[in-house]
Amino acid sequence: MGEHKSETHLLAPVAAMFAVPFIMMAMHVDISDAAYLIVAAPLLIFPIIAILGQKFNGADWWVNHTKEGGIIALSTMAIVLGTTIWLIYEYLGHHGVLGEATDTGFEWLNFELLAHGSLGWQILEFSAGGADIGIGMYIDAVTLTLLFVASFLCFLICWFAIGYMTTDSINDNRNHRFFAEFVLFSCGMFGMVLADSFLWLFIFWEIMGLCSYLLIGFYYDKPSAAAAAKKAFLTTRVGDVFLMVGLLIMYGIYGSLEFAVVFDDPSTGLNGAAVDAELLQCALALLFIGCVGKSAQFPLHVWLPDAMEGPTPVSALIHAATMVNAGLYLVARMFQIFMDAELAGALTDLAVAIAWIGGITACMAAFIAFVQNDIKKVLAYSTMSQLAYIFTGLGAAMWFANNGYEKYAYLAFGASLFHLFNHAMAKGMLFMASGSVIHEMHHAHDHLHEGDDHDHHDDGFDPQDMRVMGGLASKLPITSTAMMLGSMSIIGIPLIGGFWSKEGIVGQTWNVVLHDGTALLFPALLVLATAGMTGFYMSRMWFMTFAGKPKHEAAAHVHEVTPWIKTPLVTLSVVTAFSGAILACGEFYYWAAGKPGAHFMTHLIEHPLDAIVHELEHAFLPKDGFLLGVGWTAIIISAIGGPFLAARIHGGKLAEGETAGPLTAWLVNLSGSVGRTDIGDLHEGGFATALQRRLYIDDLYEWLIAKTLIPFAYCAAWFDKNGVDGVIKGIESGSQAGSGMVRSLTTGRASDYILMAAIGLLVLFALLWGVV
Amino acid sequence: MIEPTWIAALGAFLFVIGLAGTFTRKNAIIVLMCIELMLNGVNLNFVAGAMIHGDVNGWVFTAIAIAIAAAEVAVGLAIFLALYSKHESISLDEVMLLSQ
Repeated sequence: MGEHKSETHLLAPVAAMFAVPFIMMAMHVDISDAAYLIVAAPLLIFPIIAILGQKFNGADWWVNHTKEGGIIALSTMAIVLGTTIWLIYEYLGHHGVLGEATDTGFEWLNFELLAHGSLGWQILEFSAGGADIGIGMYIDAVTLTLLFVASFLCFLICWFAIGYMTTDSINDNRNHRFFAEFVLFSCGMFGMVLADSFLWLFIFWEIMGLCSYLLIGFYYDKPSAAAAAKKAFLTTRVGDVFLMVGLLIMYGIYGSLEFAVVFDDPSTGLNGAAVDAELLQCALALLFIGCVGKSAQFPLHVWLPDAMEGPTPVSALIHAATMVNAGLYLVARMFQIFMDAELAGALTDLAVAIAWIGGITACMAAFIAFVQNDIKKVLAYSTMSQLAYIFTGLGAAMWFANNGYEKYAYLAFGASLFHLFNHAMAKGMLFMASGSVIHEMHHAHDHLHEGDDHDHHDDGFDPQDMRVMGGLASKLPITSTAMMLGSMSIIGIPLIGGFWSKEGIVGQTWNVVLHDGTALLFPALLVLATAGMTGFYMSRMWFMTFAGKPKHEAAAHVHEVTPWIKTPLVTLSVVTAFSGAILACGEFYYWAAGKPGAHFMTHLIEHPLDAIVHELEHAFLPKDGFLLGVGWTAIIISAIGGPFLAARIHGGKLAEGETAGPLTAWLVNLSGSVGRTDIGDLHEGGFATALQRRLYIDDLYEWLIAKTLIPFAYCAAWFDKNGVDGVIKGIESGSQAGSGMVRSLTTGRASDYILMAAIGLLVLFALLWGVV
Repeated sequence: MIEPTWIAALGAFLFVIGLAGTFTRKNAIIVLMCIELMLNGVNLNFVAGAMIHGDVNGWVFTAIAIAIAAAEVAVGLAIFLALYSKHESISLDEVMLLSQ
């Protein structure tokens, strides 16, 4: 593995592409035109990579100079990232002016309905003016937050993937497929975020679903990967059907799916009619079911853990950092409907339902994460749990919004979006770090068995199993530091990353309870408990992997050598460590929530000390005594209780002579000096087994499907074979027999033709006889 | 004098014999002879009709039909010669160009 020569020259096109948007900016190109690049560039590049990759498969220049398309993909991401930064810069400069105007480039679909009226058939045109569907963009702070998260992480994860994918011999000559699908996925994500109507949002939403399917099944020759891809696709499809029905109802209400029309006045429907709030709630609830599927929430969460069959960069990008945020984004988009004063109180049930789903999923996923031994599965359940936090926060925000507490609504909504940002950054990094661990474990194992004759892939070694790791802190200093910071952010260790947003979500959920929203008491309790559980399972993962002594000879021979992997980890470590605090002090949450008069960063720049003190006060010493108690409970159980327990069970000092990196050494030593608890008995218990079986939910679904859907499918298959196909086959065989008979008349013998002519003539005479 | 009806009946009889021959016989020359038979059956009908109506047109048509029949035989035999030189047979079963 040491033969890697410098590959920095490959970055030249990436840097050039990154500069393109800024050159355009200097040339005074209009941003509203240039912004289309964000979607168009990946859409154009995706087939190019796929076709070139197929044509030049294995060619020297393709493998070494473009990294099988990786450099092309990375350059595309660079353009997108540059354009995104430009867009954010313009938006901050104009303070929301772009958000007002949605720009319709051209119409591509025109809804005209034929109706039978008094004048016969005529074409009806919708009078609301929104029936035509154009291509446009809807840009506000929510869009920009999501867009930045997506483009920044796509860029870094693409960078990581070049190192991860191209150094593994199992991927040789098929990486172009990976990069092409990666680029198409990013196109879907950017398009969904920028869409200016629910219809476009849905289209890009499905593109993402497709790419998720393709990428989970990247190792399609492995039966488990193929099954996981199918499971993910079908489970999200369940949600999508509801989503589509919801969209149709909304279309019925507003006569348009464009954000501009819907959000302009959510309480007024087509032709100025007042909106039936119950019908609207029904439509929004159906949209929410789609979000539940996409964001892997209970009860449609079953696909996410299996989706870890895909390559690790895919897990990082799609199933942790971006695509699963799509559901959150759609729910966040509904916020403006909840804010409408005339609908006040009418949509509370849905807000409560969102919070409940969030609370249940958060707690359930955290429980299941306790017993996972696969490093990626722990992260998968952690993702579910954290997304559920955001849903709970959104539910609280919606509750406040619908009950007239505008100030708290913005706070809760902002905290949710803030958590989305923090979680995406931390989880993207955690997955990349886990990828780095897996990759190095795999290589170390291969290296150990290099001389063996037998096929070493059959000896049951699983590079993802944390039970064979241990003591890696000294072997992988950068990875272990990144993972530590990421875990801290997810746990909510004070001052780091996710702490700021998680405090906000927990606090605001309890705040709803304080404002007579007793329906939210249960989710509020659950998210508070989950804070401590997060502390346990994230610490458990870190200690099992990096602390203690190596539990397998491969773990003792790991080295951090793969190129391309370190840069994104270091970048995201810095981002995770500091962005939370900086953005919190910059009042990012008010800005992201679109609170009128919120100024992003200006206060921090003008009066830095003031802003920091205010924010610290806000986080640690809320005025309300009850919220103070809740906040400190969350801090204590998540930052001290959970990690302490995990350290007692799984912690330990490194082997003799090994020293961890300076940033992680203290943690390893701390974990080794808190004593030990043996939990061997717990593993045998009924609850542990239930958790291992994922609380039997997958089994229940399997049983239900086996009892209901499969017999029905057999019936349908029988009907299809005998009913539908029977008719078609009957027509086919009947006409074949008929034509055979006709064909037998044309024998080619002259005498037969004469006979026919004679018979014809006779018939003709007979007919004439009858007529005359 | 023979009744014109008998003549017409004989004509119809000859026509049917000719028709049946064209369906059943394989030899092209015999089929041609059968066609001639049908033509002559028709000629007899013309004659009978002329006798019944006392109209000379019937005889004129018969004369023309005989002339044309002679020409037709010449053409037909020429075709059979050409056919024979190509296929070494004039059996209609072996010359089924129409179905190909």
